[in-house]
Amino acid sequence: MKNKLTRFLYRHRGIEGIVYVLPFAALWGVFLAWPVGYGIYLSLFEWNPIKGSRFVGLENYVALFRDVRFLNALANTFKFAALAVPLILGLGLLFALMLWSWGRTRRGVGFVQAVLFFPYLLTVSTVAITWKWMFDPDFGLVTHAFKALKVPAPVFLTEPAWALPAIAFATAWWLSGYRMVVFQAGLGDIPQELFEVASIDGARFHHKFLHIILPLLKPALLFSLVLTIISAFRTFGQVLMMTEGGPGRSTEVLALYLYWTAFEYFKIGKAAASGVVLLVLTLILTLIGVKLLGLKSELQ
Amino acid sequence: MTKIKAWAPYLVMYAIAFLWVIPTLWVAETAFKPNPDIFSIPPKWFPSRLTTAHIAQLFASWPFGRWLLNSLILASLVTAGSLFVSTLAAFSFARLQWRGRDAAFLTILVFMLLPLEVSVIPLYFMMIRFRLLNTIYGAALPMIALPIGVFLLRQFFLNIPRDLDDAARIDGCSSLGVLTRVIIPNSIPVFAAYGMYIFNYAWNEFFWSLICLRSAQKVTLPVGLRLIQGAFEINYGLITSAAFMASLPSLVVFLILRQRIIRGIALSSGIKG
Repeated sequence: MKNKLTRFLYRHRGIEGIVYVLPFAALWGVFLAWPVGYGIYLSLFEWNPIKGSRFVGLENYVALFRDVRFLNALANTFKFAALAVPLILGLGLLFALMLWSWGRTRRGVGFVQAVLFFPYLLTVSTVAITWKWMFDPDFGLVTHAFKALKVPAPVFLTEPAWALPAIAFATAWWLSGYRMVVFQAGLGDIPQELFEVASIDGARFHHKFLHIILPLLKPALLFSLVLTIISAFRTFGQVLMMTEGGPGRSTEVLALYLYWTAFEYFKIGKAAASGVVLLVLTLILTLIGVKLLGLKSELQ
Repeated sequence: MTKIKAWAPYLVMYAIAFLWVIPTLWVAETAFKPNPDIFSIPPKWFPSRLTTAHIAQLFASWPFGRWLLNSLILASLVTAGSLFVSTLAAFSFARLQWRGRDAAFLTILVFMLLPLEVSVIPLYFMMIRFRLLNTIYGAALPMIALPIGVFLLRQFFLNIPRDLDDAARIDGCSSLGVLTRVIIPNSIPVFAAYGMYIFNYAWNEFFWSLICLRSAQKVTLPVGLRLIQGAFEINYGLITSAAFMASLPSLVVFLILRQRIIRGIALSSGIKG
């Protein structure tokens, strides 16, 4: 009897647990999981609303990797990540170290932190407008600065070689403050005694950096690396607003390619396939990250 | 000499801060400059006079107030909805026993880091069918059930001592009682942190909003700025005044809640990086 009761209660509790998850699970299932699944499904079809869609297997993927425009977008995505990620992380770490080593004993540093962090709160459109204006070939402040230094200014956003680096720089301006705060938190967690002991032993700053800070900050750094690469792969707004993928197609990245292909040309199957490529690329990266970080243990 | 040594770090830090704030200051200044000053070579650091003509033009030619309202509604809907469903789910994952719980949690988690660009295509057709395309609800719904929310809240709930639950249960609390009387009152910091994160996320969301919101009356601020930019390529006075006005709410909130926002990021950084 007692056994039955506990069993009933256990089952009842099981139902209760599911009830609590249900609102989230329903929204998640309908608006996140299902669309991803259906997107993968769509990538196997030649989409045609009038004649009916036709199953084509992997043809969309084959077409994709024969499409010069897609390969260009893929290359640009990697190029952008290679430019933006080191800039974002490097500046973030530099700022964090600066505030950490100079800031703790000084007043008025909160202002510096606030100014470095603030761009993160701007919308991507504002960031793009700001830097488009800064880089304006005639009246932009950057152009003026080059002139003042008597260096011929590149026409940043309309010169193929400069457009992507310029967007990457704007992105770093936007996002490095967030990384700074994350790294500051990481630095704050390092036990102070380690530095005191090192100082007694006569260690200089670069010793401390290499032998204390870097090893102890490694989890935060690797984690930030994975997340920043993912966000770089997904870059869309800055590029659309600053160059629309131009000049030519020198800044067209994957998300922009997907957007044009789906919502300008309505090649739904192909666009879905490009989205799946982006998904798989990121999945691989995430798995590498999980391996590197032993993230799995943290998630349990 | 020692004096210089003491002041050098200040100088360097403030110089960097100044460099970092220049673009924003320049945009703000451009928004209030008369046109001849905007297009002057060499640049005019201090405008000959200040004008609100650009801002007047902005409000006359675009439903800017409407965009602000739309953004506010969208971000509030997403924040309230997300906090609600994520709290319930995180509580279940952290405290209740049910079969398949850990597998379900892991499945949701897998989606945390994935780029869901591919999902906008099915979402677009789905919203047409639900008649939610070009509505705030259509824009908001996909942002509510974010895995990161469940993850963060669950992580925090797990650190609340179970003894408190047990005490409450002995006193006759149901699970709902445990949630509302024990878990929620002890989790205010994480609610604040996640609330700010999700509000900012929704306020700034661009990709899906651009696809979902199609008419000038319906769009949110980020998409509205895109509309202005598409219409006047060279009207820098107008476009910078729009960018300035769009940033003003964030600036005000940031000035009030600066410490809280930064601490919130530090709190959630364990996983969000």
